[in-house]
Amino acid sequence: MSADHPPVRRYRPPAPLGGRRRATGSPTGRGVKAFLFLAPALIILGLFVVWPMISALRLSFTDASGFGREEWVGLENYVTVFTDPDILSAVTNTALYTLLFTPTAVIAALGLALLLNSPHMPFRSFFRTALFVPFVVSFAVAAFAWSYLIDPQVGLLNYWLRGAGIQMGNVLEDPGLAMPAVALVAVWKLFGFYFVIFLAGLQDIPSSLYEAARIDGAGPWSRLRHVTLPLLSNTMAFVLVFATIAALQAFDQIYVMTGGGPYGHTQTVVMEIYESGFKKLDIGFASALSYVLLVATLILSLVQFVFFGRKEKDMA
Amino acid sequence: MTRLRILTGVGATLALLAAGCSSGGDDGGPVELTFWHGYSEADGDVLEGIVDDFNASHDDITIDTELKTWDSIDDTLLTALSAGEGPGLVAMPAERLPVYAAKGAFASLDDFYADEASNTANLVPGAAAMEEVEGEKFGVPSGFVPLAVYYNTALFEAGGVSAFPQTWDEWVAASKQLTVDEDGDGTPEQYGVVLPDHATVANGLWPSLFYGNGGDIVDGEDAVIDSPENAETLEFWSDAIAADQISPTGVDGIGADELFSGGKAAMTVGGPWMASIAEENGIDYAIAPIPAGPAEQAASAIGVSMAVTVDTSSAEQAAAEEFLSFFLSEENSVKWSLGSGWPPLRTDVPAEAVAENPVVASLTEIAETGRPLLPGVVNSVDVLSAIDELTQKAVAGEDVDTLLGEAQAEIQAALDD
Repeated sequence: MSADHPPVRRYRPPAPLGGRRRATGSPTGRGVKAFLFLAPALIILGLFVVWPMISALRLSFTDASGFGREEWVGLENYVTVFTDPDILSAVTNTALYTLLFTPTAVIAALGLALLLNSPHMPFRSFFRTALFVPFVVSFAVAAFAWSYLIDPQVGLLNYWLRGAGIQMGNVLEDPGLAMPAVALVAVWKLFGFYFVIFLAGLQDIPSSLYEAARIDGAGPWSRLRHVTLPLLSNTMAFVLVFATIAALQAFDQIYVMTGGGPYGHTQTVVMEIYESGFKKLDIGFASALSYVLLVATLILSLVQFVFFGRKEKDMA
Repeated sequence: MTRLRILTGVGATLALLAAGCSSGGDDGGPVELTFWHGYSEADGDVLEGIVDDFNASHDDITIDTELKTWDSIDDTLLTALSAGEGPGLVAMPAERLPVYAAKGAFASLDDFYADEASNTANLVPGAAAMEEVEGEKFGVPSGFVPLAVYYNTALFEAGGVSAFPQTWDEWVAASKQLTVDEDGDGTPEQYGVVLPDHATVANGLWPSLFYGNGGDIVDGEDAVIDSPENAETLEFWSDAIAADQISPTGVDGIGADELFSGGKAAMTVGGPWMASIAEENGIDYAIAPIPAGPAEQAASAIGVSMAVTVDTSSAEQAAAEEFLSFFLSEENSVKWSLGSGWPPLRTDVPAEAVAENPVVASLTEIAETGRPLLPGVVNSVDVLSAIDELTQKAVAGEDVDTLLGEAQAEIQAALDD
């Protein structure tokens, strides 16, 4: 370009509502004020999150049962976590559940978000609301409802399928089908939330990019691959991390629908934590297992963030 | 100034929280005691009546009952006790007592049992055995009843079965006769009996069958489930269920209750509440002992225990013990039994005393065959889940000897825990 091109003005963000004001008071005074505004939240977080976490960490090195008598046992609980065959099988079950739940929920949410983002879709608002409704229902209620729906004796689903000549059998008592069944209930219950997040992400993508792509001759598939998906990678990272965390914490519907059965096939890590803590009263071991799960979740989340963060950077 | 006020506020709140967590001491004044229980039906009303009588006759003690579901008692007792907010007295399924006792949640009742005034001398031996953990008594039974067969008399009549079976072979024969597959599609519309293969009522069906053939699960500190007797039992019953289709498969205890109350099974193995469930559903029923096995007539018992928690001061413990002996008095024993439908807990209550309630009378007759389930076993959770896995897989047709070997190892590991 030429040198006489008018100089580009430096970008200045618009003034916040109420106009710009000079900060008043000394820096220390401002710090105190900020702290006071934060204090209620900090106190609640401290009392109900940080303090229990510190207590649980301490308990994980003891044989605590919750009734006062507790002895320091060092790393014994952690050694058991990594050597007990029951825990290993719970980890395998949780991994299977995560593999069944996360991709299904994320792909269903993304697919429906893409479909319902299209302005040509009739009854868009109705479908958007309808898909979000299961998320509002309590997990326990959803689990009870599904237990009845698929019950082999009185279940509606079985009744309909029988009409079509299909015998579904007792799904929740079938070692091969129980896990997919409880995972599907979670997909039904949770994907509405991921769907809304994807929808918000899709609406953030400027339509000018699609126009440019169209001018360049990109078809629908190319636009999805080269415009939509790359620009959704932040949203995707968020949804994937949330879905993975939800999967690793699977408990409610399993507790209600199968209780961990048939013979341990749906026994997840959180079910083990519950059983160790509240049935066997082994709070020390339950705390250790919780910490291992926490660290595993943290690592998985970080890996996902780094992976998708890099994709975003590559694109930029 | 503001910061100081906030800090003072936080301090005061914490102090209040701390004060709320501490329990009352022995000041010689009237004692108030909370009693958690899960008796929600007619039994609950009788229990309330007994508590009211106790409160009326004791000026210095007040017992407040709190009705919760049995599950919620189990789920909240630990947190309540560790926060110092637990009940003084609690009733719970007997097989849950040992784990709380072993973890130090309950007060020892050895001195109470040694006291003649405690009314514990004539307790049904099986019921008293449920309360012992490592040689020490930690509870008092509030219920002990052997599992029994509840059968649909109308279906028996329609199927031409006139006498209730007395042996296993007769039981299977009668069940076959009562199983009806009208449309011949291989799935009977009516089953002779419903035998759940997991989560059976009070976890007692399969133990009852094991005892009947001379087998057992735990002997002291040893797992004894892997025995030829138990292998025979599992083969006999899984064959009858799978091959002869006398019972549906993959059913649990709750499913069994539903099949019986829906008139789709002629017999079920259950507890006293089946009587009222049958009445509600308009089913004519009768009660009989579980038919005798080749070795003996025995049944696992459903048990409920009451325990005094460690949260209590010595005055509160004395008050709780006063109530327990009041509850076990001969008069209240009869009242409780008639109202709750469970047989008397004392051997010296004559059968005539409870004859006016036919359910109690029939159950009292078979009370002697009752055996406590896993008395004193702390980790009953793992033992019971090993039994569930064993029976579920055996009924599904897996090799019984291999399964018994696995169950033996798992149960032994749970006992050594």
